[in-house]
Amino acid sequence: MGTPRWRRRLRPYLLAMPAVLLCVGILYPFFVGVGYTVFNFSDANRTPSFVGVRNFVDILSSDTFWHSAQVTVSFAVVATVVETVVGVGIALLLHRSSLVARILERFLIVPLMVAPIIAAIMWKLILLPEVGWVRPILSAAGVEGYRGTDSALAAFFWSVVVDAWLYTPFVAILALVGLRSLPRSPFEAAAVDGANWWLTFRRLILPMLWPYILVAVIFRFMDCLKVFDIIYGLTAGGPGDATTTLQISAYLEAITYARYSRGMTFMLILWVVVYASSFVLVRYLGRVQSRAAGSV
Amino acid sequence: MAALELAGIRKTYGRTVALDEATFDVRDGEFFCLLGPSGAGKTTTLKVAAGLAEPSVGVVRLDGVDVTDVEPTRRDLAMCFESYALYPQHNVFDNLAFPLRSPRRRMPAERTRQRILDITTLLGIDHLLDRPVTQLSNGQRQRVALGRVLVRPASAYLLDEPLSHLDARLRASMRAELKAISGEDGTTTLYVTHDYVEALSLADRIGVLDAGRIRQIGTPREVWSEPADTVVARSFGKPAINLVDGAIAAAGGVLTFVSTDGALRLPVPGLRTSPGVRAQLGIRPRDLGLLRGAGDLPSSLVCFDAAIYVLEHLGRQTEVTVRVGAALLSLVVPREVADGHVLDDKVVVTFDPAAAHVFLPDDGGRRVVR
Amino acid sequence: MSGKAGLRGRGVLADLVLVVYFLLSLAPVVFIVALSLKSNAEQTSTYLRFTPTLDNYRAVLGIGAGESAYLRFFLASLICAVGAVLVSLVIGVPAAYAAARFRFRGSEGLLFTLLSFRFAPELVVIIPLGVLYQQLGLYDTYVGMIWALQLVTMPLVVWILRSFFQDLPPDLEQAALLDGYSRRQAFVKTVLPLVRPGVAAVCLLAFIFAWNNFILPFTLTSSEAQTVTVSSLAFLGGNQVRFNLVAAGAVMAVLPPLVLALFIQRYLVRGLSFGAVKS
Repeated sequence: MGTPRWRRRLRPYLLAMPAVLLCVGILYPFFVGVGYTVFNFSDANRTPSFVGVRNFVDILSSDTFWHSAQVTVSFAVVATVVETVVGVGIALLLHRSSLVARILERFLIVPLMVAPIIAAIMWKLILLPEVGWVRPILSAAGVEGYRGTDSALAAFFWSVVVDAWLYTPFVAILALVGLRSLPRSPFEAAAVDGANWWLTFRRLILPMLWPYILVAVIFRFMDCLKVFDIIYGLTAGGPGDATTTLQISAYLEAITYARYSRGMTFMLILWVVVYASSFVLVRYLGRVQSRAAGSV
Repeated sequence: MAALELAGIRKTYGRTVALDEATFDVRDGEFFCLLGPSGAGKTTTLKVAAGLAEPSVGVVRLDGVDVTDVEPTRRDLAMCFESYALYPQHNVFDNLAFPLRSPRRRMPAERTRQRILDITTLLGIDHLLDRPVTQLSNGQRQRVALGRVLVRPASAYLLDEPLSHLDARLRASMRAELKAISGEDGTTTLYVTHDYVEALSLADRIGVLDAGRIRQIGTPREVWSEPADTVVARSFGKPAINLVDGAIAAAGGVLTFVSTDGALRLPVPGLRTSPGVRAQLGIRPRDLGLLRGAGDLPSSLVCFDAAIYVLEHLGRQTEVTVRVGAALLSLVVPREVADGHVLDDKVVVTFDPAAAHVFLPDDGGRRVVR
Repeated sequence: MSGKAGLRGRGVLADLVLVVYFLLSLAPVVFIVALSLKSNAEQTSTYLRFTPTLDNYRAVLGIGAGESAYLRFFLASLICAVGAVLVSLVIGVPAAYAAARFRFRGSEGLLFTLLSFRFAPELVVIIPLGVLYQQLGLYDTYVGMIWALQLVTMPLVVWILRSFFQDLPPDLEQAALLDGYSRRQAFVKTVLPLVRPGVAAVCLLAFIFAWNNFILPFTLTSSEAQTVTVSSLAFLGGNQVRFNLVAAGAVMAVLPPLVLALFIQRYLVRGLSFGAVKS
């Protein structure tokens, strides 16, 4: 009536087996794709030949790559910083639980549920001089010569705005949870000591909130590095190649021009960057979390 | 009903050793208590017995049959969890009916109802049957958890601190109840507790567990009066046994315990050890007395001078701490004996040398046999 | 200003900042709803004052005009998202349970692999997957889409459900085992009822993410299995642009996730942070 030990040992593997197979089913194309990078596979060349590291050399020495890398990183940094600062600020204001704050908090997640591509479409319409609200508002404020996302700077600016519109609530929600989990006593002590607000924030709130903020930053930075929907929907990478991020470059290469090997090489480089940054950030988060857990 | 046997059980979690070579058996119909502080490995022992944790080494037997590889479902054991493990989505009745409705048992509804009524009446929770378990106090939850065990027949009961969250009065009455049930049914019971009073009053035999090791197994009388070592000795009694550091000397041909500062000397004839070894003298607080006035001292008693250090009046009894040289000794005396004493009073402490134990700190605190 | 008056003044200022933020945050939604209710004539000539009409929605839904392409895309979105969530659930629940309850070799690897799917740039899988799909005949099919959407839904389901399972004490299942139930029965009778709200929330969240996804259907479908997100963009790119129609389509595409989100507010934080933050 006994169950052999090996069968009991096998139990978790059996439960996890379907998920493992699914992972294999996704990893398989990934590794096939990695294989593409050393060939010259494209729609035009269906019988590819081995080219070694030539794709990498080509791409790493191309202006297109370095330009889109620069666009990607600038976008990720600027958007993450803006969303974090505004998001934490909004969370602090909501945390006061005034009547206004309590009413408005219910609407916090509205943008977050909008599909990024739909958000891009909405903003594209808002920015359109014909139907949008931006032109009349700007002209009412005395700014003339508004031309939508025609210039490189404007395209970049509005891309960040759309991303921030969508994802600032994400940061704010996480920060708000963090704020609400903070112990009360240190702040009461600080209030008794007559510490001013800024000092309380810098010395008390921020350090305890940091693990929460960091989770938000990791998610935002990682997602911004691979941004596609928002920029593609809003500017399609234009004007020219002004907002062409790495994933858009890869899209153009691999899907539009059907040059699979080159597109895949783009993506592999981006993947390495994303992977490396997530590794660094998650390790840092682990240290911050264990420090925060130790200090309480 | 069955005999339960754990042989050479070793259980490690990563690098920490939860159980180290634990071996004991619970005889058919016996009430066996496992006593130990938290973290000693009591719950792990129960989980190994139940089949919920797989021992790294060792064998579990039920009626002599190796069940180490048998699924918990098929061991026919009933366990009361320290966390209660009540099903929060069910009310009290359904929690108690859960084991009876299981595919292994399938008790008819009418018998289920009757059985639950019997047990809940016994435990004093029959008025709570329709209450969701989330709305119960800890004491009530604990009785439901206990009820879920008692409600059904099993080869053996495994009880993990089943009385720990009851208030003192309820605990005493439940203890009596449990003793009555176990005496009546004679179900093999492995009972885990950190409360030595529970262990002494309930158990047929007690196993003292400390840091994953079983230090002694014996009847309540044995573990009380013949503790294997200082750990066992300190596990029973409150205040805990007094331990005085010293050494064994040979004074005039008689082996004598001498405390480190020489203030306490006690001849211990017949002790199986040799002069010169380090030793600890163990005296239970209730074996000590205070000498009042000039009465005749029974010749069997030894006495020595001491000074009152702390007095704590606890109702009819008084807990006194006295200083003998550098050593502090606790004793418990009737209130009237202590009355009138103030701090630093010089007193004479008496005790029966036959009740004293000598332990060898260099030998793991082992008690020396006389 | 000092004391209470000063504090109150600061409170009003803070509320004012909040109001401004939420005005900015909700304005695009108001804008798109307003635009979707405007007639062709009014869409370029008015801002907030106009005579609302449901003509655009009628046109999008094909009411009175026979077949509606939009409804087909809507249905495709529904099939793909529901299918993806179901597949993730069937495969993900046992895996999440195993990862929460057992220590076994490779469990960390599995979890990390799934998490890396969440953070990987999608095209790194899509490019070869697209080529593969064309060989296998899965391009522009529901099966192909549901498979690819696992990239989105699977990590979410496994990670969040694992955190739910971890929150439950294992004593409950163990008690059920000793009470005479098999492992499967113990899971169904004790664990499942307790995590059901969490499972429901995860399903809704996974559905939202699958529904909102753009790049997968954009690259792996062309017509049959094309979803709302893709068609919305295509709509905008058409020659004869009627912005009010685009707006009506966008509003309808946003509605399902927004409505579903109302039901899972409590679980949203844990869901969005993959269980890293619990409220």
